[in-house]
Amino acid sequence: MIEVRPNIEFKKELKKISKSSLNECMQCGNCSVVCSLAPDDRPFPRKEMIWAGWGMKDKLVGNTDIWLCHQCGDCSTHCPRGVNPSDVFSAIREISYQHYAKPKFLGKILNNPKWLPVAILIPVIIISLILFMAGTLQIPEGPVNYSKFFPHAWLNGSFSFLWFLTIILGIIGLRNFREDMKKQNPDVKPKGNFIKNLFSIRKEIILHSNFGSCSAQKTRKIAHFLVFYGFILLLFVTAFAIYAAVTHNYPLELTNPFKILGNVAAIMLFVGIGIMITNRIFNKKDFGNSTYTDWLFLISLFLLTISGVIVEAARFLNWQLAYHLYFFHLVCVWFIIIYLPYTKFGHLLFRVVAMVYAASIERRLK
Amino acid sequence: MDKKTGVYICSGCEIGKSIDIEKLSQVASEHNVAICKNHSSLCSVEGFDLINNDIENENLDRIVIAACSPRTKTEIFNFPENIILERTNLREQVAWCYEPGEEDTQMAAEDYLRMSITKVNNIEVPKPFIAENISSEILVVGGGITGITSAIEGAKAGYTVHLIEKEEKLGGWLNKLHKQIPYRAPYDTLTDPELNDRIKELGQYDNIKIYTSTTINRIDGQPGQFEVSLLVRQAGLQNGKEEKITVGSIVTSMGWNPYDASKLSHLGYGKSNVLSNVEFEELVKNNSVKALPKNILFIQCAGSRDKDHLPYCSNFCCGTSLKQAKYIRDLSPESNVFIVYKDIRTLGLYEEFYKEVQKDDQIFFTKGEIEEITEDNNNLKVNVKDTLLGEDISLSVDMIVLATGMVPAGTEDLNLNYRLGKGLPELKYDFSDSHFICFPYETRRTGIYAAGSLRAPMDIASSKEDATGAMLKAIQTIEATKRGEAVHPRSGDKSYPELYLDRCTDCKRCTEECPFGAYDENEKGTPLPNPNRCRRCGICVGSCPERVISFADYSINSVSAMIKSVEIPDEFEEKPRILVFVCENDAYPAFDMAGQKGLKYSPYIRVIPVRCIGSINKVWISDALSQGFDGILQIGCKPGDDYQCHFIHGSELTETRGENIQETLETMMLEPERIRTEFVEITDYYKIPNIINNYVEEIELIGPNPFKDM
Repeated sequence: MIEVRPNIEFKKELKKISKSSLNECMQCGNCSVVCSLAPDDRPFPRKEMIWAGWGMKDKLVGNTDIWLCHQCGDCSTHCPRGVNPSDVFSAIREISYQHYAKPKFLGKILNNPKWLPVAILIPVIIISLILFMAGTLQIPEGPVNYSKFFPHAWLNGSFSFLWFLTIILGIIGLRNFREDMKKQNPDVKPKGNFIKNLFSIRKEIILHSNFGSCSAQKTRKIAHFLVFYGFILLLFVTAFAIYAAVTHNYPLELTNPFKILGNVAAIMLFVGIGIMITNRIFNKKDFGNSTYTDWLFLISLFLLTISGVIVEAARFLNWQLAYHLYFFHLVCVWFIIIYLPYTKFGHLLFRVVAMVYAASIERRLK
Repeated sequence: MDKKTGVYICSGCEIGKSIDIEKLSQVASEHNVAICKNHSSLCSVEGFDLINNDIENENLDRIVIAACSPRTKTEIFNFPENIILERTNLREQVAWCYEPGEEDTQMAAEDYLRMSITKVNNIEVPKPFIAENISSEILVVGGGITGITSAIEGAKAGYTVHLIEKEEKLGGWLNKLHKQIPYRAPYDTLTDPELNDRIKELGQYDNIKIYTSTTINRIDGQPGQFEVSLLVRQAGLQNGKEEKITVGSIVTSMGWNPYDASKLSHLGYGKSNVLSNVEFEELVKNNSVKALPKNILFIQCAGSRDKDHLPYCSNFCCGTSLKQAKYIRDLSPESNVFIVYKDIRTLGLYEEFYKEVQKDDQIFFTKGEIEEITEDNNNLKVNVKDTLLGEDISLSVDMIVLATGMVPAGTEDLNLNYRLGKGLPELKYDFSDSHFICFPYETRRTGIYAAGSLRAPMDIASSKEDATGAMLKAIQTIEATKRGEAVHPRSGDKSYPELYLDRCTDCKRCTEECPFGAYDENEKGTPLPNPNRCRRCGICVGSCPERVISFADYSINSVSAMIKSVEIPDEFEEKPRILVFVCENDAYPAFDMAGQKGLKYSPYIRVIPVRCIGSINKVWISDALSQGFDGILQIGCKPGDDYQCHFIHGSELTETRGENIQETLETMMLEPERIRTEFVEITDYYKIPNIINNYVEEIELIGPNPFKDM
């Protein structure tokens, strides 16, 4: 038994973000029936749609099922009232990033276009400050050598520290999220530990198996696959680069296998992001409403990739603008990895935590 | 005048291939008919002229056309009204369903021709009953939106309408409405009640006479001649003066009452701030509440679709709650409205209105069942189970509105001076509907039509439509009565029951069994017929043990003679004969359809169409058995609550009369299986061969009727 006190502000925010006329839901349940993932027991998304209509924020933020949805859009395609449950789910996830953001203001500035200049200024100022402290806040003379502009020790040291910080803050948010999920299932005691449960869902993550069951959007799986593995590959190459920088073998030659791997990863990201952007622009019918949060993440990932390639080229070609581009590239890196818990990239964390929790309470998808 | 019969046999449509026409013609000559001719296509211009010339030149007054089913080509075989026409169904029920050239096929054709010729010799052209001083005025009972609309429609068509209302002013429930649901696109704004507009419209017609504070003392008479005694009161006074009017037909629109909410204590009624939808509407209409509370809950289907209360859906309550939710939000932007429903039923384009209401962020919907309502400190705590929210919920609200349903007001106040009661007969759930499958607007009292929520639960828009339909029927009755014709379903039939009262024993069977109350009776119990109330079903013909009731073209004698005209082969020929009485409404067309589909069945049957199986008189059964028929099958429409019987309970009567018939069998020492009743719908044509063949087989097992050749 839950006591219902509608949170009308939340409902209005949800409608604004999702652009869904969610009130018009007639609670028929078609969405839950066509969903290829929803479990037989308390299937989504109908119950969530009704909670949304009733402004029940506590039930939606901190809800496991919201993150089990892979937003394939089948529910929206088959909704007789056109209320787009998948967009509502997406909006709830967006609100969740802000809700669990530590500190709160970062969640706010990264999910509202009004605050974009501030979001950009933060990395610009902090990176400039680090450069100032390193004593290299000027364009170096001679052939392009990025370590002259941003000494490797400073770069790796400061970014690693900031990333470590952001992950700590992210984990605090995720712990709150996990507590909320537990509160919503008071009768079920989670089984097993995090690692064991994470291992149990390895197939879904590695093979993207939940993506495959969607019928409305066929290209999504391949796009996400490319971006997912491209990004992991780049992380791996970056880790090696840091190691190489420490062992004074940096920069790498073009023929170095790691360098080749890095470039392949960049191509994978390009293609993947390209498909994603094309779908969002040209196939709105199947891919639903794209919000600022969606675009911010996609575009910054795109800019990160393209600026990375250009920066690489600039070094070989000795461009005068190489250092400016390098600075730009670092701001992009910041947007992706330092802002991780606050942007759509946060889905990486939230979704894994939710899937692990679902595994611990044995809530299995179809 | 001497009877002069012409017989015309068609050999088209495979009849010629199936039947020996020359041999068939001999049957006609055996019966001394004036003329017997064959033609390869009687329905051609040439064929028709052949018949028509004979009528003119030879002064024929009776014609038998042995060709296709009488249900077909009626526009071609259309002769002057003084000619008796009989159509022998050689095509659908002989040529198309029996093997061509066989002896049994030929025998069937010959018997059918004998029956037809016998029939025309035993019936007369009906002379219509035309009453004197038929009134073209129409009475509308009940001045709500249905009555008002009906009166306006009648007046528009040029008829004088008397509109009576028992309250001091017209309008009924419309007087109590705060707002009305929009009835046209874009369905987004509530409208003011339309009462004033409608009253203004009423005023535009001089031929509408309005009586308020008026009730009915008594209604006597029949369509065309209803004598109505009114009691017209002065506003506020109990006594009034009698006023008499004569009308031709009546539309009843007495409306509905809300379901008694005091029976809904399980939904909180009786606690403070729990109201019915009607009470809530009045509360807002009369401005008797300063500010609407913050949280208001609507409980849909309060006492509706509930076997312990009203088992049906009242149709208007969902729309009304949506309307009330909308004006609550307009009047009080702070308020939250919760709606707990079983299903939201907004039929047709009202879905648009539902969507419009849903757009409001502070109107919350869920399916659910109310589990418990508790009250503490002006606060109502409502527990709802079976919701779609995935779990039970609890709501704290300040006010509850119960969406209660409609109960028909009843028609006893008509005070009909009919043997069968003061009001209209009621069907399921007490609504005065007649026959919800085939005939909307009809009632079982000819010339009196029910409209609006008296007939079925409906909202304002549907009531207006209903009012128009019922008025049209009322007008049709007047016009048909002027011509001495029956109304639905035997529209245009000019025959009517004639009673030979000298032999009547005052047994009252006819007065009791007539589904339409056509017979009143005097103190002795002698029937007093009102021919204009009659629908010509012939159930009285079937009811009369003294056989004193007959129609000019459908009589005890004519059918008996047809039965006796069939040639029964002796028992050694091993050709049994089964007489099949077939209801003309559903079963006979089903036989025709079976023939049209080429379905084959036993040729041992002989079909006699009857107006209703309720019109089968016991004497026909004994005649058939004495004649030597081995079995008798009666096939009629489906009886029961959702009946198909065109005359309400004709099929049911075969059950109640069954005992008498079994007695007849016992006195004749015959097996009870020799009579069987079956029910079919018009679409059951494919069942006909099985019904026939199974029964024929059964009779063959029992063996021949011992009365053969006696």
